[in-house]
Amino acid sequence: MFERALNVFWIVLGAASAAYAWSLGVVGPAGPESGLFPFIASTIVSGAGIILLLRPSTQVRAPNFPRSSGLWRVLGVILGLIVMAAGMPYLGFSVASFITMIILLRTVDRSSWLSAVTLAFLSTASVFWLFGHLLGMALPRGPWGW
Amino acid sequence: MEALNGLLTGFGVILTPANLYLCFLGSLIGTLVGVLPGVGPLAALALLLPVTFTLSPIGGMVMLASIFYGAMYGGSTTSILLNIPGEAASVVTCIDGHQMARQGRAGPALGIAAIGSFIAGTLGVVIMTFFAPAIAAAAIRFGPPENFALMVLGLVCTLFMISGSTIKGVLMMALGFLTAAVGLDVVNGRERYTFGSVDLSGGIELLAVVIGLFGVAEILSNVETMAKTTLLADRIRGLWPSLADWRASWRAILRGSGLGFMLGMVPGGGPVTAAFMSYALEKRIATQPDRFGKGAIEGVAGPESANNSAVAGSLIPVLSLGIPSNPVTALLLGALIIQGIQPGPLFIAQRPDLFWGIVASMYVGNVFLLLLNLPLVGLWVQFLRIPYRVMFPVVLLLCVVGTYSANKNVFDLWVMLGFGVAGYVLRKLEYDLAPFVIAFVLAPLLEQSLRQSLVMSPDGAMIFIKRPVTALLLAASVALTFLMFRRRTKTEGGLP
Amino acid sequence: MKWAGIACALVVALLSAPAGAQSDPKADLAKLKPKDFPTQPIEFTVVYPAGGGMDVSARLLAKYVENLSGDRIIVNNRTGGAGMVGHSYLATQAKPDGYTVGVIASLLWGDAMLRAQGRWSFTDLEPIAYVNSDALIWVGSTEGPYKGMSIKDVVNAAKDKPNTIRVATVPGSMWDYILDQIEANSGAKFLRVPFQGGGAGITALIGGNVDIAQGFYSEFRGHLEGGKVAPLAVAAAGRLDFLKDMPTFNEAFGSNEYLWQLVRYAVVPKGTPADRKVYLAATVQTAMKDPELIAEYRKQGVFFDPKLQNSKDLTADLNAYAEVERQFYVKTGRLK
Repeated sequence: MFERALNVFWIVLGAASAAYAWSLGVVGPAGPESGLFPFIASTIVSGAGIILLLRPSTQVRAPNFPRSSGLWRVLGVILGLIVMAAGMPYLGFSVASFITMIILLRTVDRSSWLSAVTLAFLSTASVFWLFGHLLGMALPRGPWGW
Repeated sequence: MEALNGLLTGFGVILTPANLYLCFLGSLIGTLVGVLPGVGPLAALALLLPVTFTLSPIGGMVMLASIFYGAMYGGSTTSILLNIPGEAASVVTCIDGHQMARQGRAGPALGIAAIGSFIAGTLGVVIMTFFAPAIAAAAIRFGPPENFALMVLGLVCTLFMISGSTIKGVLMMALGFLTAAVGLDVVNGRERYTFGSVDLSGGIELLAVVIGLFGVAEILSNVETMAKTTLLADRIRGLWPSLADWRASWRAILRGSGLGFMLGMVPGGGPVTAAFMSYALEKRIATQPDRFGKGAIEGVAGPESANNSAVAGSLIPVLSLGIPSNPVTALLLGALIIQGIQPGPLFIAQRPDLFWGIVASMYVGNVFLLLLNLPLVGLWVQFLRIPYRVMFPVVLLLCVVGTYSANKNVFDLWVMLGFGVAGYVLRKLEYDLAPFVIAFVLAPLLEQSLRQSLVMSPDGAMIFIKRPVTALLLAASVALTFLMFRRRTKTEGGLP
Repeated sequence: MKWAGIACALVVALLSAPAGAQSDPKADLAKLKPKDFPTQPIEFTVVYPAGGGMDVSARLLAKYVENLSGDRIIVNNRTGGAGMVGHSYLATQAKPDGYTVGVIASLLWGDAMLRAQGRWSFTDLEPIAYVNSDALIWVGSTEGPYKGMSIKDVVNAAKDKPNTIRVATVPGSMWDYILDQIEANSGAKFLRVPFQGGGAGITALIGGNVDIAQGFYSEFRGHLEGGKVAPLAVAAAGRLDFLKDMPTFNEAFGSNEYLWQLVRYAVVPKGTPADRKVYLAATVQTAMKDPELIAEYRKQGVFFDPKLQNSKDLTADLNAYAEVERQFYVKTGRLK
């Protein structure tokens, strides 16, 4: 079922992309225009989606998606990364990374608060020191300067 | 012979304590940079460039160069152990390397990667020593038509690499093309697929895609199952490659060295393309191609050798002619310019101490790296004993920093996350992700070269037939495609 | 406010002191340094990839500023979109707290006028110091059918045989614009082969894939010394010191509109506190007076525009140049 939905997604994505590519112009006086390659690629995507959709369902193996605890763990990692990406510009690297590490350590495997905080602090500090100080990479700083 | 004289000069320059120390330091940093997922030689060189101001020109160049090829040694480590590429050139190593690790053969995999890297690196320098000017003169004639034909060949080789459903593989390649189109069209400066976003107008960063598709997706898969607390601790059998491993690998190493060296020289080539094409080559000519994807050691030996000799190959145009073929060599060129040195056709004649010093340092550097990496195999294997629940957050943090290091743009982190989730889902649905990445890497240059060639040519598409190298490469692509379809229909009894 | 005034007076005094005076530049700078600044490294933002001409200029500058002021400077390449990503970052996202200094080129103006679409303007970045200028140069090959020709010969050949002479160009930038001008004024027609940068075009020239390339001196100096390329003309107001035999376009065609130069200068985002801005300006301007730095820049083949070097109001002078460019865009229909 999911597989079918994905195939439909490919068809729709390919079609929309092909339309956009067409609007960019496909062939011009000087040969290929901006839209040619994307147009061809989009057509292939849609075509492949159609072929896959038409395959007999015996050939399709159902994917096994995670249930309950596995699902929560995966979502926990995703949440951690969202916090990191969203938080870094405002909180700075150190704080965002610390919070993210705690989320990861707590949701994915029930580390105790103590070990989570310790590991989060140690890893954030060492990464910050290694990249920010030793290698001189400009990691974003929060409103409090670090 | 003139080359041997030059080499002696070079060794005279390099064999001082200061320069040897810098070569070693660069090798160490390079290895570390290669091991860390995301942070690649480009970021490391950009960060350490200011350090070279305080060094002599030869010292600075030796250090920077050793970081470059050192990273190719270290890149295989996380690929094999964690299925997470240390950098883009090590993506293919994940495929068979990690499978070998799962079978308890992490040691031999790491060992062959290190030794193959050493052989390829040294062979590359030997060719550089004797043939650099001649090769450079030939490389410079590689224009847009030749580039186009080479990219076509690369894409055809990618078709060989597709494991599993061909249709899905082709779909992934087409998506790779589309994703590469996001940003500026280099040929006319127009924006494509950017929808008004400034971040998208810069295109999608390769590193974010690679770390997302192979790093984050891998972590998501592992985290979901968490079947074991440690990855592979109980299944480490032996640390050294066996005789059988050697017999299987030595030809792959030689082929990888040759292929990588040639690909390193051309613009748009470089270690990434070299690794991919070596894997495709090995899979294509293997007597039992089904072993690939299940721990075939040639799938590690070939690519790892190719990416190392590609470094030597890519240094030839920049040192003999002052022409960089990829962003890392462009940076090395910049470093030389800052030091007041202008590499060009007269570089070898005007500054033999520098040129030969760098060449000599590569011999020494490869030895350092072999001595560094082989004992480290035992150390890395111990890392697998760390409980996954502790290791993966740290690895994820390194992935984040590594991705960020490319453009210092938080947008790349969102790209990484998006591709991570997409990769996770697609893996479950049995889509092979490697073709996406290869198409993403090759597409821009393929499109650009095609359009440049058509503009340049007085008689349109005939230019592809009139120029001999182009015609040859295109003919090879056609032949390979034909062969591939024959084989696929024979072995799989049908396409999808 | 009073302190800002005194700081400004000090800067004026510093800059109008005759060269070789007993004043110690480092001590003068220390006097200008605001309290609590800087507590972290200052970022010199470069919007082009590492290793390129802009990057080299910026890193040299950073080296000398760091030595002079003792502050830690980190050069950061924010690349993408042919500079657009970095320019947008500087104009809209960079915090105006004195820790970000953009080392940019006048290509900013094209981006601001043609591509920013009202989201930001180049006035959002305030110039603090002039660095150097680079003029666009046309080079031909020392082999092939057009060798030994002068620039006038080349243009005449392009008129006689339209669409046969291949010129390397970077679409959407001054490389294209000068071609527009030449073609409009002479009736010649060149065949434009697109590349991503001037350097790639020079490579193609040597490989025989194009007949004329356009670039800056640092991009082809090595090849010039190796006898592979021959410079034809420069789009500057006067001949370059190190290429005295090469005419300017204006000389060759009796015009004054062939002026295509890259002006490199340092900026801070609008809204940076006045005392920090003054301090940063002083550090860069003092570094720019260092004869060693000037010598290093000269080796790159850049030149120093006397008008900007001695400018009393850098912002106004740069805006004047930007206005000339804007007129060009309006005249050629790129801007309404």
